[in-house]
Amino acid sequence: MPEQKTEAELIKFEGRIPIFVRLLLTVLVIVIITELIGTKTINVGIANIVLLPMLYAVVIGVLITPDVLGKSITALQNIINSEEIALAGPLVTLALLPLGVKYGLLVGPAIGKVVQAGPAFILQEFGNLGTILIGLPVALMLGLRREAIGATVSICREPTLGIIAERYGINSPEGTGVLATYLVGTVLGTIFYALLGSIATLTKLHPYALAMACGMGSASMMTASAGALAATVPEMADTILAYAATSNMLTGIDGVYAEVFLALPFVNWLYKKIGPKEGGKK
Amino acid sequence: MGLDTQKTFNQLIIMLLVGVMILIGQRVGYGIPVMNAIPGMLIIVAICMASLIIRDLLPNVKFPAFAWASLIGLILCMPFMPTAETVLRFTKEVNFLGTTTPILAIAGISVGTRIDEFKKLSWRIVIISFVVFAGTFFGSAIIAHIILKIQGII
Repeated sequence: MPEQKTEAELIKFEGRIPIFVRLLLTVLVIVIITELIGTKTINVGIANIVLLPMLYAVVIGVLITPDVLGKSITALQNIINSEEIALAGPLVTLALLPLGVKYGLLVGPAIGKVVQAGPAFILQEFGNLGTILIGLPVALMLGLRREAIGATVSICREPTLGIIAERYGINSPEGTGVLATYLVGTVLGTIFYALLGSIATLTKLHPYALAMACGMGSASMMTASAGALAATVPEMADTILAYAATSNMLTGIDGVYAEVFLALPFVNWLYKKIGPKEGGKK
Repeated sequence: MGLDTQKTFNQLIIMLLVGVMILIGQRVGYGIPVMNAIPGMLIIVAICMASLIIRDLLPNVKFPAFAWASLIGLILCMPFMPTAETVLRFTKEVNFLGTTTPILAIAGISVGTRIDEFKKLSWRIVIISFVVFAGTFFGSAIIAHIILKIQGII
């Protein structure tokens, strides 16, 4: 397979136009189909599962590759094959950039609130490293290797996808890990956090502290966990929701930087300490 | 390392194509007229290009283009910036969720040769994800609890 091309080579147009056309037209068709389906909300009692077009998009994208549906429908192989898949890697990194800009544009106007937010808000951000502290040992215990880096560096929302894709490539083991946690989060994240929010007070941690923890950088997960938490202590509901939203906004602002400068070096350091030694190098 | 102009040019073409895709997608999904969103999309593409160029010019600063992109966006629309009003007025026509659909479609295709690895992860990744989700929650809650105690708020 023509895998070992550099990013600059992959995005060259000379002689590769048909590859670009096939890939980009396929993506366009997927985008149109998934946007036509639109956002669907399913109520499962304790929480709403929100299905976004991006979720169908990733599923369709995987399905049409040669190893899945392409196996039985050979016509698909003429459209999406190893060359197109190889090109998709660097294209993910580029396609993520507009989202990065939108993140900045969302939080810029609110920068004043962050400065006002007290030390508790800022320091609890370090708690996000808990994903690594608890997650990495478990992942290694279950036999993961470099995938564990991507899977546990954070709760793997879109910014993490961008950072890992750029640092390691989305088709690296680390990329597989980050995409895997991302997918689980997209499908099951809100339900999990709704459950966690509703039983969190059993820990005897103060509801205000739990409220801050609800803001982990995903609006839907924050809404689910804070909503569930507030329902268990209704007399504090207003403060809980305000704390959660502020904390969520803060993570939105500093999450990218915390990940680049703290979480990523930390997960690599811990991996060196407790991870498998070079033997099974991939 | 300097700038590879050929690469930068190719990136620009690809960014514009991605922009077109987002415009079509959000027309279909959110009914935003393509014409209204073109200026905002051009601003966004310009910021994306700036972030790619900055990253290539500063290879020793280990800061991904994605982070540069969000930092530039943030700075341009802070309340006291003269650019804030214009940038926000145009870019609000570009839907946040609309930018995510093409990414995930491409990401899905890009893992096409790695299906076996996902199969190998299978149920284990669900457990790991839940541990990761609980980890960030209780990590933050414990720290917040201690700080709020020290501050005397709780």
